Amino acid sequence: MHDDAARSVLIVEDEDNIALALEHLMRREGYRLARVASGADALPAIRRDRPDLVLLDVMLPEVSGYEICQAVRLDPELKAVKVLMMTARGNQMERRKGLALGADGFISKPFDVADLKSEVRRLLADSS
Amino acid sequence: MFRRLSLRLRVFLFFALVALGGEAAIGLGLYLGYRRLGDPEALSAFVFAGAVAGFAVLGLAAWVWLLFDENVAKAIEALSARLRARAHADAETKVDEARAKYLGDLAPAAAAVTESLSETRSALAEAVGRETKRLATEKARLAALLADVPEGVLLCSPEHQIVFYNGHAAELIGPGHAPGLDRKVFDYLRAGPIAHAYERLLAADAADAASDLLCATAEGGRVLSARMRLLRLPEEEGGYPGYVLTLRDVTADLAVHAGRERLLEEIFDRVRRPAANLQTVVGVLGPEGGGALDAALAGEVKALAGAITELGRRYDESRASWWPMSETRARDLADGLSARLAALGVAAEVGAERLMLRCGAFELVALVSMLALRLREEGRGEGLRIAIRADPPGAAIELTWAGEALPVALLDRWLEAPLEAGLADVTGRTVLHMHGTECWPEPAAEGRAGLLLPIRSARPSATPPHPAPRSAVYDFDLLSRARTEAVAERRLLDLTYVIFDTETTGLLPGQGDEIVQIAALRCVNGKLVEGEAFETLVDPGRRIPAAATAVHGVTEAMVAGAPTIDVAGLRFHKFAAGAVLVAHNAPFDLEFLRRHEAGIGRRFDHPVLDTVLLSAAVFGSHETHTLDALCERLGIAIPEAARHTAMGDTVATAEAFLKLLPMLAARGIETFGALVAELKKHSRLLKDLN
Repeated sequence: MHDDAARSVLIVEDEDNIALALEHLMRREGYRLARVASGADALPAIRRDRPDLVLLDVMLPEVSGYEICQAVRLDPELKAVKVLMMTARGNQMERRKGLALGADGFISKPFDVADLKSEVRRLLADSS
Repeated sequence: MFRRLSLRLRVFLFFALVALGGEAAIGLGLYLGYRRLGDPEALSAFVFAGAVAGFAVLGLAAWVWLLFDENVAKAIEALSARLRARAHADAETKVDEARAKYLGDLAPAAAAVTESLSETRSALAEAVGRETKRLATEKARLAALLADVPEGVLLCSPEHQIVFYNGHAAELIGPGHAPGLDRKVFDYLRAGPIAHAYERLLAADAADAASDLLCATAEGGRVLSARMRLLRLPEEEGGYPGYVLTLRDVTADLAVHAGRERLLEEIFDRVRRPAANLQTVVGVLGPEGGGALDAALAGEVKALAGAITELGRRYDESRASWWPMSETRARDLADGLSARLAALGVAAEVGAERLMLRCGAFELVALVSMLALRLREEGRGEGLRIAIRADPPGAAIELTWAGEALPVALLDRWLEAPLEAGLADVTGRTVLHMHGTECWPEPAAEGRAGLLLPIRSARPSATPPHPAPRSAVYDFDLLSRARTEAVAERRLLDLTYVIFDTETTGLLPGQGDEIVQIAALRCVNGKLVEGEAFETLVDPGRRIPAAATAVHGVTEAMVAGAPTIDVAGLRFHKFAAGAVLVAHNAPFDLEFLRRHEAGIGRRFDHPVLDTVLLSAAVFGSHETHTLDALCERLGIAIPEAARHTAMGDTVATAEAFLKLLPMLAARGIETFGALVAELKKHSRLLKDLN
């Protein structure tokens, strides 16, 4: 347990299995957790809960992760919310696109659990 | 005034004037004599004398006039009429020398001139006939050759009218109905990519530039991969050039590729995520399991996911490589874009850095102009700027405007809409896909927003690749020649010659002087073969004296790293294979080469001609036969900078040789054997030269 224990993380992931694993991991790290399974539900949840970090999958049904990321960055009230994008198609173009749209970090699946934990910690430390 | 009168009338008037003058002189003389005498009784005697003298003068003038008219005036008129008939009507009339016998040598001289004119005309007509026949034969051979080229070939005028097509082009662009000459190529192929490539090549203004493009048939939906090259003919300098299109049907190729592409994309989409998820899940569970089996499972899962990820990455990188693209100058792309935007009524400032992009230019212009148009329609067109800039390792097209950022969802909708891109069913997303790239909203300077479209492959345009020589080299007369004729029996004009020259460290091969440069040209059927030249520096393996460098300009630094005579000599031997060697003072150059035959591994046992001896055979032994003197006599100018360089002297020798051949033929020396016999008379000259 560490200082970030009270931090909140929102997982936006449409695949239940990976969401389950991420929830397990984040909970073990002591974060407060919430999860939405579609892009359409993500933005209302972010605006309502104001999580410290959004773990955002790129490929979501209806509304893409890129759209959500851009909307978060264009909303001044969500300035403090950190966005870590995740994709299984982690090519250079997608990474640049995500970062250009305002993502604070971009991590390609499959990711090393230790890398993910340290990236989450880095972003939450920046926001504190 | 008198010039309008005929020659005979003028002669008549001349004699009439002489008669009248004579009559007047007699009358005046008798009158003055009568007054002086002062005897009225003598009047009748004076009148009688005057009448007799007057009739005598009149009669004499008439008789001489008749003779002059018959033998001079009429003869001249007849002669000139025949000359004119010969000159203007090519009438086969002979000059009547008997009739013009009083005109001295005029008639024989005129006969010689008309004879010479007749012979020249016959020779000219024969030459024209021969050349016409040869051209017709070559045209037929070229047509047969092009008909058999496995690609479609179209030749179009600057107005895009078809002026030539081969059978494969007919099959490709007009299945079921042959294309028509003088019809627009756009009747058969969609206009956009072709017109765009033509404009780009015109703007590029590079003689050897080519543009690859993808176009589709106007009917039937065939997709053709094409290469366009401008056709700048010497006689059309200044005007717009036509162009050659070589066409290949890639419909099936693209369909196969596209099908495989879809399958691969589906495979990676369906496999990549579960594999990645599996590794994540196992990774999360990992530390808690702790057993050896769990560690083995984690290892295998990691290896599997890693392999799939690596293969997926390689697939992403190679996704665009199968699509036919060409190198395009960024500035040409910007010009095309400006023109397209102007046509759409979109105001934008377009700029580009000096870059060469590997892209489908027409499709990119269609995509970017669509984006600009949509931005303006969305009220984001103010201060629109489009820049093509370096974005290592490639380039990027950047659109920026004054105003708010573009929602990515709206951009995605625009990219799903069809484009006017010359191919059916092409969307903005298709164009991005074929370029293996993406497009996204990009932050810009204060108060501005932007879109970024990276191009994966680009390089600075300051270092263009050197175009390979591409001109076709042919001489179809070689097909019809009896190759087995012995050289001695062969006509001089039928032989293949290699005219060459060497530069050396000095004049004494026996005392260690060596070759430092060799140059040569090939001459086939009496013509120098353009593009077949040999030129090399040679490392002499010794010092080059300053005096020698002062003559030919070859320094020790220049030959450092050049091939030795063993290598250069072998290359030259291969270049000269089967040819007659020609040089000015050939024994001198050959001596240097023959001393190295063992190292070269070849013998220089070619038949040899020496332009020193040819000059002597034509101009006589008493003349000077140095290359300078020979060139001066033949009106060949050697630029001072080229004199005593191997290639400069080779060109001069070749030009002199080509002028000497017809002069030898005029002396009845037409075969190699006859020429050698003639040259033997002058061989002592060689000792005196150089």
